[in-house]
Amino acid sequence: MSRKNGGIEVEGTVLECLRSATFTVELGNGHKVLAHISGKIRKNHIKIVPYDRVLVELSPYDLTRGRIVFRYRN
Amino acid sequence: MDTLHPASGPVDRTIVVNRVAEHQWHALDDDRVAGRGNAVRRPDGRLFVSVDAWHEAVFRRLASALLADLPRPLYTVVDETDIDQTAGWLLAGFSIGRRERGYLVPTDPADTGLVSADLASTRLADIGPAGTATAVPVPVPPPAGVTIIPAGSADGHRLRLLDRAIRDEIGATVGWQTMPAEVIALPPGVTVPDPSKYAVAAQGSEYVGMLRLATATRQPRIGLLAVRADHRRRGIARALLAHTLTTLHARGTRAAWAEITEANTAALALFEAAGARHAATNLELVRR
Repeated sequence: MSRKNGGIEVEGTVLECLRSATFTVELGNGHKVLAHISGKIRKNHIKIVPYDRVLVELSPYDLTRGRIVFRYRN
Repeated sequence: MDTLHPASGPVDRTIVVNRVAEHQWHALDDDRVAGRGNAVRRPDGRLFVSVDAWHEAVFRRLASALLADLPRPLYTVVDETDIDQTAGWLLAGFSIGRRERGYLVPTDPADTGLVSADLASTRLADIGPAGTATAVPVPVPPPAGVTIIPAGSADGHRLRLLDRAIRDEIGATVGWQTMPAEVIALPPGVTVPDPSKYAVAAQGSEYVGMLRLATATRQPRIGLLAVRADHRRRGIARALLAHTLTTLHARGTRAAWAEITEANTAALALFEAAGARHAATNLELVRR
């Protein structure tokens, strides 16, 4: 877990692709969050699929929500 | 904006937007970063923007700041099903420039149908003790006189000549204007950084078609499929696709990914005939 610009970033694994461009991501501590893709990832056409390892920035307003800011290569 | 929290979110008047770098903006809510804006100029010269914010009000403020600070036209990309992001940009004055479909392409010949109809070319791979035979599907062959060169075997120089010829035919600029996925910044003049990713169709010593497959991620991505203008409508693209999908299937990969602009009806027809499933739509939005 790390903090960047005030946001909390946690590694996780994508479990499921949902509607409205959202994903269920299981974090390293076992918690599951609902995450969107960041604009920078979308802009670069980076495809997220189940079982991808990703870095999630958690919402400071709701820790069950997040934003995928990085996808790791296998 | 990623989610809306009207009850717990920041009040509009408390948000301060700062341009913290040439292409980066921060929205501060009581000294906490509540959102970020970003801009990047692609190799083709177009300026793409993005906003990540937890609240609608923050998104609006950041989008306004980007629009005020940057020259137009501006572009952005959203998932069509992301209602919040799409609505946010449309409200900021953007309009839909083009649509791009994402396809999940099966590799199993039983699903793609891209197998040779010539039974004589079907190889009998295994004959069991009871005399039963397992047929290994053979991909649809290229037209007469054309051969498919597998990825990793093509000549780099001739491949670059083909890439240049096709770019000239379609008037492509750096990064193929109509293919926004092609945004990798390369040294001037370099358009084929890694020839090993390309399967090629050759007629004699001349290269006439190519398919690039990226396999760095778990789901391979068909990044490019192109044929010289005077060799189209002969089945070369279909043969390249059949070869690539059959190869992936033999390696145990069940599906590949491809993005096709909706204006490219020939490509849509080719992939849909091969069993590709429309799984997503990206919208390229533009503010002129």
